[in-house]
Amino acid sequence: MLELRGIRHRYEGRVVLDLEQFTVPHTGTVAVVGHNGAGKSTLLRLLALLETPTEGQVLWNGAVVPRRPPASLRRRVTLVEQRPILFRGTVRENLEYGLQVRDMGRNAANGIIGDVVDRLGLQSLLSRRRHELSDGEVQRVAVARALALRTDVLLLDEPASSADRAAAGALYRALAAERAARPFAVCIASHQLEDAYRYADDIRALADGRLSPVTPENLFRVELPAGDGVKTARVGSIELVVMTDRAGPVVVAVPPTDIFVSREPLPSSARNVLRGRVTGLAIEHRGAGVHVRADMGGVELVAAVTAEAARDLALTPGGTVVFSFKATAVQVF
Amino acid sequence: MDFLAEGFRRAWGLLVAGDSEVYGIALLTLKVAVVATVISCTVGLPLGYFLATRRFWGRRAALTMVNTALAFPTVVVGLLLYGLLSRRGPLGGLGWLYTWQAIVVGDVLLALPIAAALSAAAIQGVDPRIRRTAETLGAGSWRTAWTVAREARFALAAVITAAFGQVVAEIGAAMIVGGNIRGSTRTLTTAVALYTAQGDFGLALALGLVLLILALVVNIALQVLQGRGHA
Repeated sequence: MLELRGIRHRYEGRVVLDLEQFTVPHTGTVAVVGHNGAGKSTLLRLLALLETPTEGQVLWNGAVVPRRPPASLRRRVTLVEQRPILFRGTVRENLEYGLQVRDMGRNAANGIIGDVVDRLGLQSLLSRRRHELSDGEVQRVAVARALALRTDVLLLDEPASSADRAAAGALYRALAAERAARPFAVCIASHQLEDAYRYADDIRALADGRLSPVTPENLFRVELPAGDGVKTARVGSIELVVMTDRAGPVVVAVPPTDIFVSREPLPSSARNVLRGRVTGLAIEHRGAGVHVRADMGGVELVAAVTAEAARDLALTPGGTVVFSFKATAVQVF
Repeated sequence: MDFLAEGFRRAWGLLVAGDSEVYGIALLTLKVAVVATVISCTVGLPLGYFLATRRFWGRRAALTMVNTALAFPTVVVGLLLYGLLSRRGPLGGLGWLYTWQAIVVGDVLLALPIAAALSAAAIQGVDPRIRRTAETLGAGSWRTAWTVAREARFALAAVITAAFGQVVAEIGAAMIVGGNIRGSTRTLTTAVALYTAQGDFGLALALGLVLLILALVVNIALQVLQGRGHA
């Protein structure tokens, strides 16, 4: 439905986004994960038709979107920014804004606002003004304001960054309820992998403005020394042994499925053996496995195991764990 | 010091008695100031928004020009306008020289850069997320501009006040293109200058007080409007 093709987007001459293709399908939830500065927010602004790519095209249902998209097209997609802002006026007036712009009748607008207010638990906030709200409440109101528009594509930039777990859960449940009620596409930029696994149908990783060829976990920006073969890359307090000819600043990734998980170090050919503590266990969206997050001395790594293996190893948050992987498993790009 | 006290007494007497000349001059001044402020702000505020929000070739030069125009000497503007409106000038056919319309044109030329430059600065001070949010919620160009202007309304009210202040206190252009004709183009500032030169200090002071009251009333009205706004 919404597609970016051959994008090279620059800010002051610096390429911040370099994508061959990025597609948001008609329905479903796509999560875009990556570090701060990876290009997630820029990607969403291009998808929201708020910016025109320096090079490349934005397509809507196969047709190229003009440099100044008509309001009718812009109204089919909406974005909630990472730090959303509310307009002057009450929360209710903010919720009404986009509906008024669309010339919606008062009764219909009240019905829609009632729905989103119920879903996101905003009843008590309706008459408040922006300076009377916390950051988390502003974020919820901004999501409600966008949800009320019932656009074909909803873009959310770190929608739960200011929310506590309960509020984040309510937000994702509201999204799920809306998706059950009508078909539309959601694209969420997040640095919280756990949320991505829990709520998204498709996860894509961005690193330094490019789509990562591997799954999004365990991405690190490192500096590699010159030379061929086995090298050591420092990531925070740990060292990764890498097999590559590349040198200089690169992004390395350790696919979670290539990590052996054990309670104690195992004798093996793995050159990377890291001991740490389990920080979380997340069951995948489709229930296929368990993602084990572990703190390896200040660096978080994620490994994928089957639910059975997680049970056999009796992995629990806080417990010790050992991650092992070969130097050749570390991908460099 | 006696002449000052005498001047105040005379001024008070003229104001209380409802002197027709004093109030006639005040009304003309108000008319000229309101018309010139409305025209300069109607053109200047959208121009300021455009300069603040659009990226186009020559934008920086346009901003520099508008900012430079802030410092235009009023007599020079009056002189140039005199050249344009005089019988031999390109706009001589309008027959506006020594009319209140000529004073309005001069005042507009002086207040327009104020309205444009200060409103551009006011709009640039609005959080850019406001504009992006309005756009992503589906607002068209006008609605987006209105939304951004609402956020800057305190600053924009100050812009209107500044434009009115410039117009109501202007003397150079009004004197040259208005001619200071009694009952026709005599404004408060030109009248104060004339009566002071003629030694009628009381009348000059009375007119000066009216000018101050006029400026005060307009400022209070704008502050009341600002006060109605909530965050």
